[in-house]
Formats: sequence, C-alpha cells, structure tokens
Amino acid sequence: SSMNEEFLKKWQMGLQIFSPSIDNTSVSERKRAIKLSADVAMASLRKGTTCWSRALIQKTATEDNFLVRQMLSGIKEEPLINKKLPKVMCHRKIVRRSKKILMRRKSRSAMEEVAAKKLVKKKTQGLRNVVPGGEFMSSNVLLIQETLDYIISLQTQVNVMKSIVDAAEAGIER
Amino acid sequence: MMMNGEATTEADLFLNCTDMSVLERQRAHLNNYNHHHPGFFSNSSTINCGEMDGFLASAGLDLPAIYGDTTVYSDARLSASQGNITTESGNFKKRKFGCVETETKVCNEKKKMMMYREVVVDEEEEEKSKITEQSTKNIMKMKMKNKAKKEQNSCSNDSSKVTKDSQKTDYIHVRARRGQATDSHSIAERARREKISERMKFLQDLVPGCDKITGKAGMLDEIINYVQSLQRQVEFLSMKLATVSPRLDFNIDDLFTKEAVSDPMMNLPNTVMPPHMMVNSGYPHDLVNSGYVDFNPMQQVVTSSDPLPCFNNGQASSMWDSDVQNLYSSLGV
Repeated sequence: SSMNEEFLKKWQMGLQIFSPSIDNTSVSERKRAIKLSADVAMASLRKGTTCWSRALIQKTATEDNFLVRQMLSGIKEEPLINKKLPKVMCHRKIVRRSKKILMRRKSRSAMEEVAAKKLVKKKTQGLRNVVPGGEFMSSNVLLIQETLDYIISLQTQVNVMKSIVDAAEAGIER
Repeated sequence: MMMNGEATTEADLFLNCTDMSVLERQRAHLNNYNHHHPGFFSNSSTINCGEMDGFLASAGLDLPAIYGDTTVYSDARLSASQGNITTESGNFKKRKFGCVETETKVCNEKKKMMMYREVVVDEEEEEKSKITEQSTKNIMKMKMKNKAKKEQNSCSNDSSKVTKDSQKTDYIHVRARRGQATDSHSIAERARREKISERMKFLQDLVPGCDKITGKAGMLDEIINYVQSLQRQVEFLSMKLATVSPRLDFNIDDLFTKEAVSDPMMNLPNTVMPPHMMVNSGYPHDLVNSGYVDFNPMQQVVTSSDPLPCFNNGQASSMWDSDVQNLYSSLGV
C-alpha cells in the first residue's frame, strides 16, 4: 500500500510537469503524457536497483528527455539516464552458431529433449522481448528475477491507475 | 585372448552380481587386479574402471567402508594405470581421511538431495552430462568452488561439521548419480537451474492461473501473456484517463479514494474498487469537472473549512474526516 502511494505521488508529480501546457489538447497527447509519467514513476520506485527499471527510464528518455530529467531531478538516478547498458546480444549469436555445429557432430537420439530445450529457449527469448531491458540480462536467473519485480511493479501501476479511473468515472456519473 | 577371457569373466562377474554385496564385488575385482600384470591392467583398465564406477555409483551406503578396506589396493593398482584413473586413486586416498560412519550419513543425505533434485531438474542435465563427461568419470569426490559449495552446504547442514573435520581444504563430497557428471561445471549448472526453478515457483504464485501448469515452456508462456496483458491494461487505462478528464491534474478526491481502498487493491490487479466505497467517498460531480482542484490539495482542504461541506454528502462524513487525516499525515505535509 505504501508502494501504491509512492507511485501515485511520483506520477502526480510527473503529470504536473505537463500541466500548464497540456490542458485541453488532444486525447492522444494526454494519454501519452499520462502513460510516460506513469512509467517513469513506476521505474523510479526502484531507484535504479533493477535492470528493467533502468531500461524503462532510458526508453522513456528517448521519447521525452525533458520529462525524465525533471522527474528524476531530485534523485541520484540522473546518471543512470546516460548510462550505457551492456550489450550482450552479439554473443548469443556466436553461441547459437557454435551449438548448431556441435549438434551436427553428435547425432542425438533423444530429439524430443532437444526440441523441448529449443522451445524453452524460444520462450525465454520471448520473455526478454517483453520485459524492458531483457536483452541485456545476461543470465536466465537474472531474467526471472527481474520479471518477478517487473510484474509486481506493473500490478501496482495497474491498480493505482484503475482506482483513479474508477474514481474519476464515478465522479462524473454523479 | 587371455585379456578377453579375463575381461569377460570380470564382465560376467559384474553384470550378474546385483545381489552380491558391494564389498564382495570390490574384493573380487581387486583380486583380479592383483593377479594380473600391470601391463594387462593398463589395457583393460578402462573397462574395469568403467564397471567399477557403475557399481560405486549404485553402491550407496557401503562405499565408505569399502574405501576404508581397499584403499591401499586401489592406490597401488590404479596408480599403475592411465592418466584419468589416477585421479580416482587420488580420490580414494582422500576418502580415507573421512570418518566412515559419519560419511554414510553425508552420503545418505546427499543422495536424497540428489534424488530430490532429480525431480526438479530438467532433462537438460542428462544431455549435458553426456556431452561433458564420459561415464568413466563418475568420481566420488571433487573440489568444489563457491557456487556449488554454497548449495551443498545449504543442503547438508548437519553434515557440514563432519565434512569440515574430514577436510583440510574446500572439499565437498558429492555423490554423483549414475551417468551424472561431477565436475564443477555441471554442479554449478545444477545450482543455477535450482535457482531458476526456485524463482519460477515465485512466479507461479504471482501469475494467476499458473498452478496447474507444469513445465518451463508453459509457465514462460503464461508469464509472457500476463506481462503483455498488464502492459496493455496500462495503455488502455491511460487512454481512458485521458478521455475522462480534460485536465491532467487528478484531484484530491482521487487521493482520498486511494487512501480508502489501498488495502483491497493490493490483492489482485483485477479487483475493481468495491462500489460501496465509491458511494461513501462521495465525489461531488462539480468538483471533478470544474477543475477546482489543483495540486496543493492538502493545505487547502485541511485548513479551510469551506471545501469540506462540498465533499461531504452527509453519508460518510466520518469516513472523510479519517481519510483526510490519514492522507494528510501520510503525505507528510
């Protein structure tokens, strides 16, 4: 519950940055502002401790650098905006190629095992695509850990936004 | 020819003696060694040691006793043979230092742990062990570095003292199952897989509807779907919010709601705010739309008494007051 409150606070703060300029603009503009500030708020709750939060902040910074800078100005996360995330992508291709060569040499009778492993690999790659910064997570253990934290944060975000929407709607209905 | 004859008898001996006690088997085995020329021994050593390893792997509890008895012989014989066998002799030697009785306990426990892990770990393990190790290398004893050691220690807490006494350096006795490799790489890999499956269990609790699914691929699928659905929900909600309010400042009443419903919200993402709370919170229609509120909410509401009557619709005044107080204090103004 404290996480909900913190998120709400940060989110509101982010929205305030837009406030003067964005009233009565198009719906899509407002939606973008809402979403971006919500994302940065969610990510900043982690204070740079998780890979996904850093990646998310970087991603949002490419869309709206000013917003991110403003939102994070109070916190020491500022340097994280410019930090380069390690690129591990190229290594995977090399590993995959060498594994293919190995496979050809040894004809395994247990093809189902290999197929199962391939499926799992495919799924983990899918997960990496979904979780922000997933491509940069070097190990599967880290990936699962980050996914856990990311899911929890997403749930917080969704909950708070839902309640705000419901409140606003209920207010209007009256 | 003689070699073959000898080899076959030994092979027969080994293959048929599932009921023989391990001790007898070992003794017979070593007697054979004793009778032969070292040269012969070196040629057939791979066969013999392969067999022996198999037995050692399945021998279970009796092994330490056997090690105690036959160490001398094994050292003498095995040192005469090829390179990869000498490591085994080295291992036997190390075994000698251990306390036999307590090691059985260690073996027991470790075996149980191994068995347990067998259930948890995937088929990856089998294949990897085949690739990295040959069956001749079912060594009982090996050096383990940090990662693996941590895992082993956590698994066999009681016996850690025993192993400490019996070891001068960081050795952990690992019972390898038949066909399993025992080098540090595979142990470390096994530890890694353990970690992964542990975390997958957490994920199972977190993602709704995942308890029925077994298997990594299915779980991962569910997780991916769930994360995607959450992300889509965020998009949808932000769009909805944008359409609902012409201005971006969300009002105090929303904050009040926040406070009031913070508990129910924690459970599931799909919980909608209970309607009765909505009613009691009493959102005055005009306040939402008039843009009356801007963002210095707390001071305004608390200090001036004027806004309050607007908020109260008479039904839940007490609730409002407590909410105001709570939020006020929590925001630390």
